[in-house]
Amino acid sequence: MNGERRSAKVVVAGGFGTGKTTFVGAVSEIPPLTTEERLTAAGVGVDDLTGLDEKGTTTVALDFGRITVSPEVVLYLFGTPGQDRFWFVWDELAQGAIGAVVLADTRRLDSSFPAVDYFERRKVPFVVAVNRFFGECRYSADEIRAAMELPPEVPLTFCDARERESARDALVRLVRHALSTVVT
Amino acid sequence: MTDDSWDGGDETEADLVPLYVLVNGRTAPRNTDLDLATQVIALPGAHVRLEPVYRQLVDLCADWISVAEIGAHLHRPLTLTKVMVDVLVEQGVLGLGAPAQDTGDDRDLLLAVLAGLERL
Repeated sequence: MNGERRSAKVVVAGGFGTGKTTFVGAVSEIPPLTTEERLTAAGVGVDDLTGLDEKGTTTVALDFGRITVSPEVVLYLFGTPGQDRFWFVWDELAQGAIGAVVLADTRRLDSSFPAVDYFERRKVPFVVAVNRFFGECRYSADEIRAAMELPPEVPLTFCDARERESARDALVRLVRHALSTVVT
Repeated sequence: MTDDSWDGGDETEADLVPLYVLVNGRTAPRNTDLDLATQVIALPGAHVRLEPVYRQLVDLCADWISVAEIGAHLHRPLTLTKVMVDVLVEQGVLGLGAPAQDTGDDRDLLLAVLAGLERL
């Protein structure tokens, strides 16, 4: 049975309120679904137990969507949990992923720094997509790059996470970038 | 039947059975390739008696479906869903698609995804 049906993953990351679920919903062929990962204290890290209940477990919700890209291949888009501290879940999402779209909101660019840092350190291909959801962007691409300290090879694009084509274009940008990093 | 199998039980009490019992105390899938994006499908002719919660899971797999989707539909945590899928794959009830694990540097897959996105 192996190999008849393939899965591909893209992680949609970014700080709280940057439009991750909106982005997933705009391109997904199904309304975004929510699944849960239940973590025990052991999976969260000893230095950060906030949010854990008295039984030592916490539930992390993950929103995801699906795009059937061919009869054999389905692409799954996973939004990262709202709280950046659940790196345990990020590791599972990032493993084997094509790459990540890091959404950014220019009013609080710093909320997307942890995502940029994460994918850089793990050498996961990623693009930064500045969400224009909140009106025209007052900053140039160069200004944003400088503020986020993005390496020159990381593509930066603008998008409207509510628009299917705009979100699609950001994904296309990511896959092209991922292709450019594949050693042939 | 292996040691990990069971032969059904009192169906009316199924929901009273703690979930860790349903997965025989397993806390992680044995097939470590099993990813939340891995797709599975019900195999024809797999006529084993299943607990209702497993039957419910298999019923979702008439067509290819991912572990994450199964978890969302059954309202079960991902880790538990993964272990349940793992048990069913071992029993030959579900068939596995290719894992997402090794796709990161797979040029053919990337090209297929790119072409598909551009058609959207």
